[in-house]
Parts: sequence; structure tokens; C-alpha cells
Amino acid sequence: MWWLKDVWVIDPSQKISAPRDVLVKGGQVLEISSSLTEKEVLEKAQGESLETINGKGKFLFPGLIDVHTHLREPGQEDKEDILCGSRAAVRGGFTTIMAMANTQPPIDNRALIEFICRQGERAGYAHVLPIGTVTKGMLGTELVEMADMKEGGAVAFSDDGKNIQNSEVMRLALEYAKLTGFPIISHCEDKDLAGEGLMRRGVASGRMGLRGIPASAESVIVARDLILAEETGGKLHLAHISTTESVELIRKAKARGVDVTAEVNPHHLIFCDEEIGITDTALKVNPPLGSRGDREALIEGLRDGTIDMIATDHAPHTQAEKARPFAEAPFGIASLETALSAVWQYLVLPGRMSLDRVIEAWSDTPAQRFGLPGGSLKPGASADMVLFDPDFSEVIEPAKLVSKARNTPFLGKTMQGFPVMVWVEGRLVQRDRTVI
Amino acid sequence: MKWQRKDILAIEDMSVEEIRHILHTAKVMKEILMRPIKKLPTLKGKSVVNLFYEASTRTRTSFEMAAKVLGADTTSIAVAQSSVSKGESLYDTAKTIQAMRADVVILRHPSSGSAKFLADILDPAVINAGDGQHAHPTQALLDIFTMQENLGELEGKNVVIVGDVLHSRVARSNAWCLQKMGVNVTFAGPPTLVPAEMEGLGVKITHDLDSALPGADIVMALRLQLERQKSGLFPSLREYSHLYGLTTERLKKTGKQSIVLHPGPMNRGVEISDDVANSVDALIERQVTNGVAIRMALIYLLIGGSSNVVA
Repeated sequence: MWWLKDVWVIDPSQKISAPRDVLVKGGQVLEISSSLTEKEVLEKAQGESLETINGKGKFLFPGLIDVHTHLREPGQEDKEDILCGSRAAVRGGFTTIMAMANTQPPIDNRALIEFICRQGERAGYAHVLPIGTVTKGMLGTELVEMADMKEGGAVAFSDDGKNIQNSEVMRLALEYAKLTGFPIISHCEDKDLAGEGLMRRGVASGRMGLRGIPASAESVIVARDLILAEETGGKLHLAHISTTESVELIRKAKARGVDVTAEVNPHHLIFCDEEIGITDTALKVNPPLGSRGDREALIEGLRDGTIDMIATDHAPHTQAEKARPFAEAPFGIASLETALSAVWQYLVLPGRMSLDRVIEAWSDTPAQRFGLPGGSLKPGASADMVLFDPDFSEVIEPAKLVSKARNTPFLGKTMQGFPVMVWVEGRLVQRDRTVI
Repeated sequence: MKWQRKDILAIEDMSVEEIRHILHTAKVMKEILMRPIKKLPTLKGKSVVNLFYEASTRTRTSFEMAAKVLGADTTSIAVAQSSVSKGESLYDTAKTIQAMRADVVILRHPSSGSAKFLADILDPAVINAGDGQHAHPTQALLDIFTMQENLGELEGKNVVIVGDVLHSRVARSNAWCLQKMGVNVTFAGPPTLVPAEMEGLGVKITHDLDSALPGADIVMALRLQLERQKSGLFPSLREYSHLYGLTTERLKKTGKQSIVLHPGPMNRGVEISDDVANSVDALIERQVTNGVAIRMALIYLLIGGSSNVVA
């Protein structure tokens, strides 16, 4: 049994944000109360061994749920695999991660869905929940067996990275997915507008001669998908929103009652295109970093609920792949181990975002939207929890990272505010930044 | 001035003092180049490697000549015959060249930023001979050198650069170089090739060439890559030539005895009419000579060390 004493509990699912004592027993949250005496706790332990943690100055919140992680298994295990990715997850404070479907081969049938589930269980760290593709082979033409894949354990469908260009296929997907009750996750990108672009089109791309991707490459597909979701009554989730126009389109669609949710990546809330140097492949990401104005619009959108969740889009790549000229390096930032700390340091500490809102957007909301366990510390809930120390600081060094990937813009930087204890189903999986 | 720079990657990060120093050194180099016996012992025992990932005869030969006049040994690696075509990365190739103890590496590469990428890895000096659409500093320096020879001090002069600015490393490097020297620069071309974001370079932008010409001391036409038409960036050579082609008639609008420059090779009858091209030819020969002088100056400044050719 665990007794977390005098810790600041943030649990948006119960609207708690206050100092509390928390008891965990048998893998579940037993009780959250204002204060407990040792006598009371010992009675409740009923002879079970008790570990007491002084939580003063720290935060306890539900284990974070990341709806957008690339674990690269099967097929690209040189970049990442499910074991390393799920260890990286718990090191970063995530107890549930949704594995993106764009592996090699893509996760487009039940057998592969069940493989991802099994590998996640074998690893035994974060819960690994598979996203299936929308179309067979991610080719954008024929729908996958969504009902069968749901039986196998899929939690959503997405052709992430290869956006469905054919609007009729997208319309059919939104219709057919109603059989499962799951949202279609759309990576909004018009292939022709994006072209061979490398970063957001703007003054910085013009100055460096790096081919630009216009903001419209995302926004026109956001507009299309919102219209299709409205027409079909289907469920839509928009991945990694990065432009001002997209935020505005989503805000209006929500006001009309469209069944849509949206996520934003930490890097789009923190960086902008002017900060990219001509050899900074660590900041080469898709969708590309936007303007300062976009960054403000995204922060505002997350604050007012237009954007529902934060997601890492953890995109691991090898060092050799990123050690190339900008045009030749792959898109993506590995972020499971730094995302929460980055949001704490760049958004919460300067007062741009409350920690309560961050936790809501990264636990309760994704759990609700995708019908997942976790995201709550209600008594009886599985004890997936994070103890966060706002004063803990760490240099981001290759030797400490447990992900296979090192492609983070924070490499070599000192960051502050980290999860120092993480439990999955009441079992301690990370202590003092070391994965157990 | 005391030279401290290890590499020549882009004009953007150079000071006016450095640019003037390079131009001054190039002047001396040009005199040496004009001698009947053009060989110096200055860089004897130094090795210069030309690493070219794009076809280029003029630039590569120019660098090779420059290095040889200074007494250095040169090696050219053209990509088609090297291990690069077997998929070796620029990183690995760089490490190999480093191990062969090159003193200067001249890089031409289709990716913007590749020169800085190489310079960050290598101990030897790197000279950017054109990286993607980003920069072509030696071209800008030789253009400025040629302009100075013709016009003297450039401060306050007006230069119009016409054409596919968006995809042009020559336009970018010239814009930086000219503006640092106090020149007013205007980019002219259709909105698809001269988009608004190019104003970030500090230049004026116009889509109406004729309105930009009055008062221009120099007009520079860029080479139009004919394949851009297929990607829809302009509808036809005919219309392009009609709107932006340099003709004798059109050049009268400058109201001056303006100089026309072109980085070559020219598409006669497209961005430049035949008769204008003929008048440019004389200058082009001069640019080629000046190109060798500029490259001699840069190689000398980077690895000449204590030897004293210039004083």
C-alpha cells in the first residue's frame, strides 16, 4: 500500500486541485482525503506493508494519456520499438500511449492490432493501445475491417502521415467508423500544397532557401474534414493542429455542434519557424513549426478548449538519419521523455497555461474521447499516477534517455520539472527518473 | 584586418569589413592572375578538395584554377563516379575527406544548409560553392567585384534582380552582399517566383519590371529553369519573356547607361534578348576572370596563414 501525504492532487475528472492525502492499495486508488492520521492509514492497510511518501511541494495527477505516439514496431526497430517506447513513456509521465498505425507494414488488420497489444503487454510499462489504419496499406483507397480490428483491441483509426487525399474515401471512413464508435484521426495535409516543402512557408523559409509548406496545406484539409464530419455526423479527431486558420475553423465547427476534437503538440506551443537554423534538423517536424502568431493562436485555443488535448507526436528517428542536410533529414521530434517538462517550463511556469488545464488536456479529455481506462484518480480507478516534482532539474543527455531516439531539440539543455515517481496499476515503474 | 573566419558559407553573416577585405585581396590576386607566369608557391603542400554534388563546369574549374595558381594541389570529387552514388551520406564522405587531410573543401550540393552542415563537422575550411537555394557567396562576391570595376563605389546605387528569385541562391547571396555595401536592391518577377516573403531579405519587391527600371544602375537577369513551367509557376516562356525579358528597348527605361549582368548560362530569347546577351558577353568574360581572383582571395585568406602575398 502507498500513502502519499500532503501532496497537491490535480484530478480534473473529479475537479480536484488541492492538497490531499492519497491511498493506493491493490493496484487501485483507495481513497483521497484532506488528511489522514497514521492510525487511520494503518487500519486501512490491514497488515499490508506500507510505503509513505512525503508529497509536500509536489503534484500528483493521473498518468498522462498520449493519443499520438510513433513506436515504429513492426518494421523500423532501428528508430524505436514498443519496449523502449513504453519505457520512455513512463519516464516522461505517460501511463497510456496510443500507438500510431504507420509502421511497416501498416497496422491494417486485426492480427497486427493484436500483435501491438501483445508487445505492449510483454513490455509491461505503459498501456499500449493500437490505432489501426483507415485504409488497407494506408493507400487511401479501401477501408480496413474496422469492426474486426475493434474486436482485436484497436481504439481509433488513422492514416497518419499519409493523409487521405480522396475526399470520398474520407467521407466513407467517417460513415463506416460509426460501427465502432471510434473517431477517425486525421493528419490534415494537402499533398500538393505541401509539395516537397521542408518548413513553414514564410520569411524564414524564404531567407534560408528551404522550400516552404504554406499554412493552407493543413487548413484546407481541416476545413474539408470538418465539413465531411458535419455532413456525415461522423466522429473526427484532428491530429497536431498548427495554424491559426485551423484553430478558427475548429472553433466555429464546435459552435455548430460538429463532433470534433483536436490535439496540439508541445513543440508547436513552444517553438516557431524563426527559431529554426539551417542545420537544425531536430526542429524539422511535420506539420512544420508555424509563425509566432500561430503559436499564440494555439495557446489560446488550448486555453479556451477549442483544442481539446495535448499529444506528443513522439516521432523517433536514428541519429544517422537526422545527421544530414536539412532537406534530407526525416520529419519528427522524439518527445515522450521531455514533453511534460517542456510544457511545464515554457507554458506553465511563465503563466501561459495552468497546470490544471495541462493535466485535463493530457489525461481526462483523451480518456473520455477515446473511451480509454485511466485519466482519473477516482476511488476504485486503476492507480495510473504521476508524482511530479516542479523543482527537479535534469540535463537532457543521450545516456539518460531510454528511448532509442535522440532527436529532441532539448538535447544538451537543462530542463526543470519532471515526473519523479510513476505508477501503472499501482505498480511503481519509475522512481527518481529511473525506469524500474 | 585580421582574418578569423574558418569557412565561407554565406554572405548573410559577414561584416562589411570582411567583404571589403576580400574584394581588396581579390584585386591583388587579379594582378597576379594577369602575369605571364601565374604560379605562386604560397600554398605549396596544401590540398584543396572540390566536392561537387551538382554538375558544374565553370564554378568547379574556377576553384581549381584558383587553387593551382596559389600552388595548392587539387582533387575533384564529382559525385557520379564516387561512393556517394552508392548511398554514402555527406557525413561519412566528410569524415573520409577529413582523414585524407584536406586543407580546404569546396562544396556544391543541392540541399540548402549543406555547407554549414559540412563546416560544423570538418576541421578544414569549407567554401560554399552553392548550397541548394540558400547561398552562393563566391558568385555574389565576383558580381560585386565586377560591378565595382565598372562603377567604382557602389553605395547608393540601384540594382534590379529579375527572375526566379524564389529558387535562386545567386539572388539571395547578391541581395545580402549588395545591401551590406549600401546598394538598393529590388527583386522583380511574377508573384509565383517573387513571393511576398522574400521581403524578409530587406529588399523591395515588384511584379512590374518596367516600373522598377528607372534609375537602375545595374540589372541582373537570373537564369530561368525551364522545368519550372511544368510545375505551373509561370504559364509560358512567351509570356515570361514578354513581361520580364531584358530587351534593348526595355533597358532604355533605366534612363542610364546601365550594366546588365547574368550569372550564366543564359537562355537567349527568354530572360534576355539576343542583342542584350551579346553586350553582356564581354562582361561575362570579365566575370570569369574575376571569379578566379575572388576564389584565390578566399582560399588564400582561409589557409594562407602567415604568408604575405597581399601586403
